[in-house]
Amino acid sequence: MQALIIESTQSTPSIYFDQTTNVLILKGESFPENAAKFYAPAMQWLREYLSALETEEAIVQFEIVYFNSSTSKVFMTILDMLQAEVESGKNISVLWLCDAENETAIECGEEFKEDLGSLPFKIVVL
Amino acid sequence: MNLELYDFYQQAKGKNIIFYYCGPVAHASIEGVAQTLRKNLEYAEVGSLTTHSVFSVFIEQMQNILNYSAERISNPEGADPELRVGVVVIGHEKNGYFILCGNKVCNEDIPNLKNKLELIRGMNKEELKAFYKERRRMDPAPESKGAGLGLIEMARKGTEPIEYSFPPIDGAHSFFTIRVVVGR
Repeated sequence: MQALIIESTQSTPSIYFDQTTNVLILKGESFPENAAKFYAPAMQWLREYLSALETEEAIVQFEIVYFNSSTSKVFMTILDMLQAEVESGKNISVLWLCDAENETAIECGEEFKEDLGSLPFKIVVL
Repeated sequence: MNLELYDFYQQAKGKNIIFYYCGPVAHASIEGVAQTLRKNLEYAEVGSLTTHSVFSVFIEQMQNILNYSAERISNPEGADPELRVGVVVIGHEKNGYFILCGNKVCNEDIPNLKNKLELIRGMNKEELKAFYKERRRMDPAPESKGAGLGLIEMARKGTEPIEYSFPPIDGAHSFFTIRVVVGR
């Protein structure tokens, strides 16, 4: 399995998923023309990664300035997928990074957190 | 002609319009204009929450045109993506900013849109939040090209219920307009 590295654009985040460090990072803006299509390779990578993951700790880090409504749906799907793995005994946690001035990003993080149970989800205000 | 354009410019200024886009929309135009709009709002020092809300409504509106406008321009020679035509206007008023969006729709799609808009208009902020979260976990409707969350998102950002209208264009089409107001 190889790391998944996708450069950012004006409307899509950079994706840096590294299975050697178990740190997966999404960073930037997210309002792609077609969110489901843009995130399809990341979802595929994630499925393979999670099925191979054993007891080591994995960290998924979101640092998103703005995301549109169709991205919100994709993120929820990713978080539900991670939560299902945690419920089956895996050691995964999510970090939601946001700038102190970006109140909207903080609130969006809180709304995801409210909808999750067993998945550790930590909002980190920078 | 030049004089008429100046009249148009002055009229827009007089109505406190800060941004006006009318014509073909492609994803690249959304990307380019979005950055400029955000800069404009930052320079105007309207505060990050308002900037974010105006920006968010603008993106959802432009993407709705791109996904749903019934006025299309396609490349006669090839398979390049179609362009979709619509209009977006942003301006400020006493209580904040208004963001208007319009595009051509087929009359047969109006009842569905009206039902959805009326449902959303009848909800308060808490209900909108719950509805948004519920829909976020559901499979999108077959006719939806996005997540089907755009109108709910706009209503959540708005400080007043979304206003809309469907003035008729011809026997088969109408002009769908929505108006969202974002507070300062």
